[in-house]
Amino acid sequence: MTDKLTLAAVDRDGAIEEMLDKIDGEAAASRGIFLKKSAVLSGGLIGGGALLGTLAKNADAATATDADIANFALTLEYLEAAFYTEAVQMGALSGDVARFARIVAAHERTHVAALKKMLGAAAVASPSFNFQGTTESQAKFKATAQVLEDTGVMAYAGQAPRIQSTAILKAALAIHTVEARHASWIRHINGAPPAPVGFDKPKTMQQILAAVTGTGFISSGPAMTASGSNPSFTG
Amino acid sequence: MSDHLTLEAVDADGAIREAFEDAGGTSRAGFFKKAFAAGGSLTLGGILIGGLPAIGSAAPSPANDVKILNFALTLEYLEAEFYTRASASGALSGEARELSRVVGGHERAHVAFLKGALGAKAVKKPTFDFKGTTEDQKLFLATARVLEDTGVAAYNGQGPNLTKATLPAAASIVSVEARHAAWVRDILRQNPAPKAFDDALSMPAILKAVTGTGFITG
Repeated sequence: MTDKLTLAAVDRDGAIEEMLDKIDGEAAASRGIFLKKSAVLSGGLIGGGALLGTLAKNADAATATDADIANFALTLEYLEAAFYTEAVQMGALSGDVARFARIVAAHERTHVAALKKMLGAAAVASPSFNFQGTTESQAKFKATAQVLEDTGVMAYAGQAPRIQSTAILKAALAIHTVEARHASWIRHINGAPPAPVGFDKPKTMQQILAAVTGTGFISSGPAMTASGSNPSFTG
Repeated sequence: MSDHLTLEAVDADGAIREAFEDAGGTSRAGFFKKAFAAGGSLTLGGILIGGLPAIGSAAPSPANDVKILNFALTLEYLEAEFYTRASASGALSGEARELSRVVGGHERAHVAFLKGALGAKAVKKPTFDFKGTTEDQKLFLATARVLEDTGVAAYNGQGPNLTKATLPAAASIVSVEARHAAWVRDILRQNPAPKAFDDALSMPAILKAVTGTGFITG
């Protein structure tokens, strides 16, 4: 397995890694398996509704429209924006990590705004999130941010070649490399190799959705932190 | 001006800066004049400029991909040589040395990949003079930062001009260039991700920047 999706801080029982191994191992990567696997993960299913709804329309991945792809990206950006915004608000971060979170939060909110504007009435609504305590501990935040950013890079790399609209492609490319900068930055902070390979690998929409769903970050209930308070999201 | 192309550490007499100032608004004729006036980089310019007239207006096509990939290959040749020489110079230590070792390996892999993809159509490696920037840690870091930020802008500028068949390869390289850029920026204590949207620069703007450094001598 690549280290990019090893969400050690969250994936305590190895469910995400197991799922990704399974997907990677099956060239057919049938949606049936994906959906079945997703369904057994608590928490992710209902919040995943928006995601899975988008995915369902793309049962044949080749038919995804630019709007489908942009909404997929928007959902990832909602998640990132909410994660960083909440982490900044919770006040558990300090030093370089706090600076990273503050700057990246603003970028992710900007990405959300740009994608929403681009999609107009077709934009999906933000899901609710529960970051499972990862915004409330510097160590967990750092590990989770690295996974989210590396995942974002793989998601944009996977989708960019499928985008038909030049305007949307330009936006995706401009965001893609910023996600890569974020990934490199948090890796440097974490003492991990900022650029671990010479060629970053793309992941499919299904692979990314499986990983995101597996985190349980997308919740069915109202926005909530592990301690039960309700941060106000600006994403 | 974009901070991508501000090469203070190298651009002692401001010539590069001057060349960039009007990059956005320069006519093609003016651009050619400047490129040719820069001296020494004519051969490179010849390779790249030969492909330029078709690029701006051409729809993505396999033939256009060849021109763009040769443009990318030339930038990768430059980066690969820069890091290879810097690592060999013995002037680097600590994190700068580690960055040069790792990034040099990536850039050489990018060269090999693009050469393999282009086959017999691949342009030859130019000759280089890095003007001491590979032999001094401070100059090395400042130059690496500019080269990597420029690489990101170059790939992002060409992405929409590539065919869907070629774009995945470029996408897998550009994010690595962005990782390099952020890494060297963090070493320099500069903001690793200075903007929410990275710039995309045209081929003439990139060519002007590269020509202006004087790093390519033939």
